[in-house]
Amino acid sequence: MITANENTSWITAHADVALSGANIAWLNQQRKSALTQFEAVGLPGVRDEDWRYTNLRALKSNDYALTSASSLNIELADTTNPRLVFVDGHLDQAASTGLSDSVTSLKDSLEIVEAHFSSTLPKKPHGFTALNTAYAHDGYVVHLKSGQVLEGVLEVVFVSQSADAVSHTRNLIIADANTQCTIVERHVGTHGTVYLNNVITEVVAGDNAHVDHYKIQQESNDAFHMGGVFINQAKGAHVKSHNIALSGLVTRNDIHSNLLGQGAHVEMNGLVIGQGRQHVDNHTEVNHAVPNCTSDEYYKTVLDDHSRSVFRGRIIVAKDAQLTNADQQNNNLLLSKDAEADCKPQLEIYADDVKCSHGATVGQLDPVSLFYLKSRGIDAKSANALLTFAFANEVIERINVDSVRQELTQIIAGELLSGLEELV
Amino acid sequence: MLKVTNLHASIDGKSILNGINLEVKPGEVHAIMGPNGSGKSTLTNVIAGRDGYEVTQGSIEYLGNDLLELAAEERACEGIFLAFQYPVEIPGVSNMAMLKAAMNSMRKYHGQEEIKAGDFLKLIREKADLVEMKHEFLKRAVNQGFSGGEKKRNEILQMAMLEPKLALLDETDSGLDIDALKTVSHGVNALRSPERSMILVTHYQRLLDYIVPDYVHVLANGKIVKSGDKSLALELEAKGYSWIEGMEDTAAAVQQAS
Ligand SMILES: Nc1ncnc2c1ncn2[C@@H]1O[C@H](COP(=O)(O)OP(=O)(O)OP(=O)(O)O)[C@@H](O)[C@H]1O
Ligand SMILES: [Mg+2]
Repeated sequence: MITANENTSWITAHADVALSGANIAWLNQQRKSALTQFEAVGLPGVRDEDWRYTNLRALKSNDYALTSASSLNIELADTTNPRLVFVDGHLDQAASTGLSDSVTSLKDSLEIVEAHFSSTLPKKPHGFTALNTAYAHDGYVVHLKSGQVLEGVLEVVFVSQSADAVSHTRNLIIADANTQCTIVERHVGTHGTVYLNNVITEVVAGDNAHVDHYKIQQESNDAFHMGGVFINQAKGAHVKSHNIALSGLVTRNDIHSNLLGQGAHVEMNGLVIGQGRQHVDNHTEVNHAVPNCTSDEYYKTVLDDHSRSVFRGRIIVAKDAQLTNADQQNNNLLLSKDAEADCKPQLEIYADDVKCSHGATVGQLDPVSLFYLKSRGIDAKSANALLTFAFANEVIERINVDSVRQELTQIIAGELLSGLEELV
Repeated sequence: MLKVTNLHASIDGKSILNGINLEVKPGEVHAIMGPNGSGKSTLTNVIAGRDGYEVTQGSIEYLGNDLLELAAEERACEGIFLAFQYPVEIPGVSNMAMLKAAMNSMRKYHGQEEIKAGDFLKLIREKADLVEMKHEFLKRAVNQGFSGGEKKRNEILQMAMLEPKLALLDETDSGLDIDALKTVSHGVNALRSPERSMILVTHYQRLLDYIVPDYVHVLANGKIVKSGDKSLALELEAKGYSWIEGMEDTAAAVQQAS
């Protein structure tokens, strides 16, 4: 419920902004019902079970506005990959390469996405998801037709550069049967700028499609990132979701996969590196709806200073989903006594012939390993850094695209191994 | 080089070392033997600076300075090396990365420049050959998935790289097959020099056929109860520990426990 003391006037003001596809009936219908949903639930609060540990007071104390398109005013590192650039949620054509029949902006492909738009979303979306459907104005669409392989790596960079901007971005990856793609999504901003990035990526993976999705979050230290990756997987589809959160003030990610066809496999890898007062809340959900599917979840968190993380990992195995094999690991490393990790595995198993394993740990660096390194002359600071890096890098090592793995290793080394980067 | 005087140490209030006296001069090799639980690893750990031990009495002097004042990493930089009885697995850190970090950290401590990447590679390959370790092990995570013998070999590789002044080898021979024992001993002997001292903890006189010690000490109940030369090890092999004076407590304790 939107309560009287909750400042939502900025959301009401959204109604004045012309959205793309305003004349498309199905879209308008979806928007209307999403708005009704939003009005019923409002922005989440700590009273909602799924938001108990994530305080949105700072987010709610500010107003945000939809901005019009502006051109990129920060410099992006060179890349040899095709790359789309969105600025405050709007595609910057001039800065983008790689647009093609299969890679388009949402604005330009509203007809293509009709059958899939919101098809992967949870039945009871929270307020940010509802808002996203109601006000999505752009995003990227990758549409691969049966058998098509998107060569190499497609990068999509979402730059937030305007203070107090909000963007509701909706991306869709529609991978028909026997297709293959690797997509790296980056979210970047300038430290010191406050904004709200509300972004959802839907993945519709057809029979035997292979989708590798990377989300690298390097938002402003004062920004709010509300993210969703919602996946539907048909028979034999293999999807890998990598969710790396390196900055931002408050981050929430809902990463869900519905395994809807036999032989589907989902891998969810996550890494949080928290510093300062950063807060990262990851909610994963794997829905084993049919027999013979596998899921493999590996989330790690490194928290320093006053940072906090939340991990809720839900696995649902339906009554008929026999021979399910699901694994979930969540390991949290606390580097400071003021850091805090909350983790909550949630297994709901209704079938009897299944293999489900899970493990969650919260702890410090192993003193014996630290002594081993120190006894080799490695100073205490470097020994800590090496072990922390090694802990985090285990997630990165699961990435099998060499260029992406190497780049992420460098990024993580930059975060955790300062002065020792040359070791990796 | 090393002078341990009346050393008492305890862990969680439990006394483990009860007055150790030991002097090691440059170039000497001392073997320490003694029953399980007598405090051999504790002694090497206390010398290397492992946390968790409280030195309640006595002193350790190393190269004329108070060793107990130094942190573990400083002791290593000053030339003390401990080959662990149970080498630690460190997933995610390669052997190469660890050794490079170690060498550069030590160089920094001594105000020297970092080692050049090429020189480091050459050196580590040379030392790997010395202990007959395949080069692919260098890229693997430290000790992860290594067999018992491979771990021990890896300890000697590290020692060869770091060129300590005082090496503490805690049961480096345990778990080695005959050929590996020869290789490891060969590696150790190659490092013997008039300046470098060693303390070998072992249960088997066999090791001492390959690495011939200057002195053999028997540790029991946290005390050195007998010292001698190489022949003491042979005598122990033949007669066990029970004949030594000061062993009665251990024998009684063992009997009581059983
Ligand atoms: N962390 C600890 N907490 C409690 N007791 C300990 C601890 N570490 C060592 N001890 C005890 O101290 C005693 C000496 O142990 P130590 O490892 O030094 O023996 P050791 O002579 O090396 O034996 P071994 O030949 O089996 O290696 C043992 O009784 C052991 O149980
Ligand atoms: Mg021992």
